[in-house]
Amino acid sequence: MSDIRHSLLRRDPLSAAKEVLYHMDISLGSALQSSGAGAPVLDKSTIDLVEEFIFHVPKDRSVPPKRMSCVQELQLLEIMCSYFQEQSKDAVRQVIFSALFSLQGNKADESRMAMLGKLVSMAIAVCRVPILECAATWLQRSHSAWCVRLARVLVDDYCTLVPSSFSTLQNICSASPRFCCQLITAVTALYDMSSEDMTPPPSLLEMVVGWVTEDPRLLLLTLINMPLGTSLPLGGLDVTPLMGLLRWCVKAPLAYQRGRKLSLTNGHGEQEKGVGCEELYSKLHLSVLQVFLMLQVHLTEQNLLGRLAVLQLESVAVLMEEVSRLVEELNPLHAASHIQLALDRLAQALQVAMATGALLCTREDLRTLCSRLPHNNLLQLVMSGPVQSTHGAPYQSNFYPHIHPPRSSPLPPHNTHPALSTHNTHPALSPHAAHPALSPHRPLTPHATHSSLSPHAFHPAAMTFPYRPIR
Amino acid sequence: MSAQGDCEFLVKRARELVSEDPWAAKAWLITARTLYPSDFNIQYEMYIIERNAERTSSAGRLLYDIFISFPEQPVVWREITVITAALRSDSQDKQTQFLRGLFETLPGSVQCQMLLKATEQCFNTLEKAEMLLLLLKRFPESVVQHGVSLGESLLEAENVENLDTPVNCFRKLFVCDVLPLIMNNLDMRLPASLLYKYMHKAAEFYISYVTRGPSADGQIQGTSLTGSQEVGGLKSPGVGRGGQRFVIDGLSEKSSVVCEPWERLLDIVAVVGARCDWQGDKGSRNYTELLQRVRELFRYLPSLEAEPMSRCCGQIVICSALVLFRSAYLYMSAVQPSLFQGHSALDSGPWILLEDLSSVYSEVELERSAGKHAHKKRKLTDGREKTMSSDDEEGLGKGRGRHILVNKSDFPGWAETLESFRTARESWDLLHSHDALETEFNKLCTAWKTESWLWFRIFLTDMIIYQGQYRKALSSLAQLAQLASFQPVQTQISAAASNLENHRALIQQASCHYALGEYRLACEKLLEVVGNLVPPTQEPIKSTEEAGRARTKPRKGNDLRLLPCTSKAILPFCLQLMLACFKLRAFTDGRDDLALGHVVVLLQHDWPQGETLFLKAVDKICQQGCFQYENFFNYVTNIDMLEEFAYLRTTEGGRVQLELLPNQGMLIKNPSPTLGVELNTLLLPGAQKADRHHTVTRGITKGVKEDFRLAMERQVSRCGENLLTVLHRFCINEKVILIQSLP
Repeated sequence: MSDIRHSLLRRDPLSAAKEVLYHMDISLGSALQSSGAGAPVLDKSTIDLVEEFIFHVPKDRSVPPKRMSCVQELQLLEIMCSYFQEQSKDAVRQVIFSALFSLQGNKADESRMAMLGKLVSMAIAVCRVPILECAATWLQRSHSAWCVRLARVLVDDYCTLVPSSFSTLQNICSASPRFCCQLITAVTALYDMSSEDMTPPPSLLEMVVGWVTEDPRLLLLTLINMPLGTSLPLGGLDVTPLMGLLRWCVKAPLAYQRGRKLSLTNGHGEQEKGVGCEELYSKLHLSVLQVFLMLQVHLTEQNLLGRLAVLQLESVAVLMEEVSRLVEELNPLHAASHIQLALDRLAQALQVAMATGALLCTREDLRTLCSRLPHNNLLQLVMSGPVQSTHGAPYQSNFYPHIHPPRSSPLPPHNTHPALSTHNTHPALSPHAAHPALSPHRPLTPHATHSSLSPHAFHPAAMTFPYRPIR
Repeated sequence: MSAQGDCEFLVKRARELVSEDPWAAKAWLITARTLYPSDFNIQYEMYIIERNAERTSSAGRLLYDIFISFPEQPVVWREITVITAALRSDSQDKQTQFLRGLFETLPGSVQCQMLLKATEQCFNTLEKAEMLLLLLKRFPESVVQHGVSLGESLLEAENVENLDTPVNCFRKLFVCDVLPLIMNNLDMRLPASLLYKYMHKAAEFYISYVTRGPSADGQIQGTSLTGSQEVGGLKSPGVGRGGQRFVIDGLSEKSSVVCEPWERLLDIVAVVGARCDWQGDKGSRNYTELLQRVRELFRYLPSLEAEPMSRCCGQIVICSALVLFRSAYLYMSAVQPSLFQGHSALDSGPWILLEDLSSVYSEVELERSAGKHAHKKRKLTDGREKTMSSDDEEGLGKGRGRHILVNKSDFPGWAETLESFRTARESWDLLHSHDALETEFNKLCTAWKTESWLWFRIFLTDMIIYQGQYRKALSSLAQLAQLASFQPVQTQISAAASNLENHRALIQQASCHYALGEYRLACEKLLEVVGNLVPPTQEPIKSTEEAGRARTKPRKGNDLRLLPCTSKAILPFCLQLMLACFKLRAFTDGRDDLALGHVVVLLQHDWPQGETLFLKAVDKICQQGCFQYENFFNYVTNIDMLEEFAYLRTTEGGRVQLELLPNQGMLIKNPSPTLGVELNTLLLPGAQKADRHHTVTRGITKGVKEDFRLAMERQVSRCGENLLTVLHRFCINEKVILIQSLP
């Protein structure tokens, strides 16, 4: 090994980095072939080589770190780009990507993140689907703090730095829906509406709404492709962006109102901000509800109904707290309609999520959680539940399924999901430090009161009937 | 809060929001539905939002839910009625198309149920049938169950309504929509008798459809444009322009259209043939083959036993009848397109089948006809009409292989038309070549009331004329006139059109009378026609070339000719026919100056075609040594003839005594209005002078000589006059004399 290192040391940084990539490809490729089913593990020495020659972490004090010039770095990124593009074996690609960019909890991580950000940004620019797919997996396995960082780099690059290049980002939805799904989750984790800076930029919002309304199923992609029984890394992103998007929709009326109040007191004439966004949030909210309905089909098919909490009750509790805090900040007299809108959306989401099995809780639980919120008719109705007497027993769904078999996902199923054995134990860098990190799987007994209902109600136009009339 | 109250609250909120924020409205309703999944109003509101926004697939999905969950809601039924109405409608507006698309998104089983239930709610037979048809078309498996009963209910409705034409909405649906479904469904096993019944219904419909008269629309257009006294069968511009619209009562314009009726009929015949195991049937590709096959089959007919024979008869009769009607129609649509809907009168006017008279100027013909005439005359003098039957028998023999001449440049598609005429005649002959066939065919005709088909009657008349059965043809023409007066369509037809129709019959009658040797009657009919003709302002130029052709080709004398029914074509024919009538009389051994004079006048037409005959007439005058024809100077303007007559009076010419000056008495009594004041006054002084000398002598007095010279001089100056105008005037003014001078 040290032979390799010595020869590498004599080379210029770019060719050394290339050489390491080449070396990894050879050794992993052959390991993958010989080991068969088992996932090949990169030996320590190779990892060291990667850190030293690609991420330039000084190995020993005797050798001064050889930094690459900007041009060389760009060349290296180009080489990586084409490497991942041309590597035909999915597994090899995944392993190498993971070997390069999996966070190790050491000094090299900052460099990794820097290079990953540049690589993904470049892949978006030139539409390198294999890299985006690897990045999607990376977003699934990494701690949310790192995911948020990647998201910020991309948002900076595409929304802030060069807004004209925004359409490029928009287009990748069709190229790599999986990546988009994870990216949405990451940006909702990034922009949590906790402050004005943390409200999503309008262009980002517009893009996300565009993606979601085009195909709401996108939001469930990661969940659907996740093999049953996969455990998620601790502190990772949510499996779906639903909670994050719900936070946006519920808090938006209040957050923009707060922003307006601030700008008024500061004397800035920024009143227009958020006006055009109202419609976007309304659309987004509807999509979220529709996705809950779709989710029910998936859960039922997988026999997961009542066993998998897609929305965490804890996250919901946090959201309610945030809402009540925001309400307190606002003058109820001036913001009454906005508060009611936020509460309407919250109530709707809670009801639909409960009814579709996305949120596992009783109405009793809800009453406790909502106690601090102002009065809202719908919320009241949701907390008390439907009046049963006149309608008899809760309507047990007549699904389409026997007549309309569920449509197979238009998006290619993604099976390359090697067992995640390694939980990256990271210093808790959760952006939502307020709520405790919990296992995403909370096995529960099926909830008795929730009624399932036809998932096709108000489905978006993109969803068509699988059956055509016989002619 | 009660559940009812909750639902009302939720729906109300959604309604309030729907215009300004439809997404929020939907979010409310989704929530509401999860709360109260079995509430109708919530789901209906969801549906209405999608429907109003015309989002087909989501509206369809919701409609499905509603239909499954709330099948008894009246609102749902109203909606289904609206949708099924859209399915039946031709309308292309956005809303209708949306509703159709909405229906398409539903699963087949639901479509089927919806249509069945919607059908149950229909009380109108037609609507019900249309609804069931939608069902049968979509779900072929339902044809077995509902096909025949639907068909029968349509046929029954047609009976009950007592409609006067097979081209009605019930029959249309039956033939064009239901029947193909029944026929093409291999699971249906229908008895042969039913198949025959259906095939006959279809055939009657398609034939009546194709041969239907012009619709009211076309007539209104026609009358308004032909109000300007268009007589003489001239093509009036604008009568029934191409795009006539036709609507079957009770149906929309679109569903009144029947595409390729003859082909569809052939399809049905092919299916019936296959199902009934027709002899030698290999699926007929066209009508010619159809006839060919039954003709072959006919040869075996006498050798068959009773049962197979009747089956065989059935096949032969329907096949040949269809070929007959189709060919007859094709012939008629070329010969008299105005009879039919959709044929513009501009295509071509009517054409009349007449005796060919292009040989009228030849001497050869004269001899033959004279002989025949002598024979006829003898019989006529006996006063026995009965003897004419022998002529008909004679005609029958003539009916084989007669030529039909036609001016090819005026009649595009003449070859096909004549071929159709031939095929029709052959089919007719086949149908009348065996008693069993004839009986069967007559049954068919009675059932279809072919007696009342004017167009077919006209065809039959032409056929009889072709066969040389002129006596029969005459009675047929008389019948035709009666039939025409009963036809509602015909009575409404414009003056010009009926005039034209009248001419057609009269000219054909004249032609028949001529062929029978009944010259007087022939002329009577002719002169009736001529009176209504307008002489063309310009003399036809091409007549000479046609004549030239005719001369090179000796005629057998029993050919026929198709002439366009226009003044331009008819007037010359009338003149030829009159010439033919008088020719025989003029050149008999006895002396008939009047007939000879008429011949001379008539020979001017198409000059110098009649030069030989004229010289023969001159010979005859020379032989007689004298010639009296007082109309000479009124109607003879031909310079060659004038010269010849001037010469006759000279010594070299033989000093023939010519008495050609008009009978003054007659002229004074009847100053001809058509002559014009100038000519009358010009002629009268001369006439008075002649009167003065009349008692003195009829010979060559000085005064008469002078009158003759003056008349000749005046006549020479008239040479430039339109000859056809002169001859037309001759026909009108001398009508009485002309008729009287024939036996």
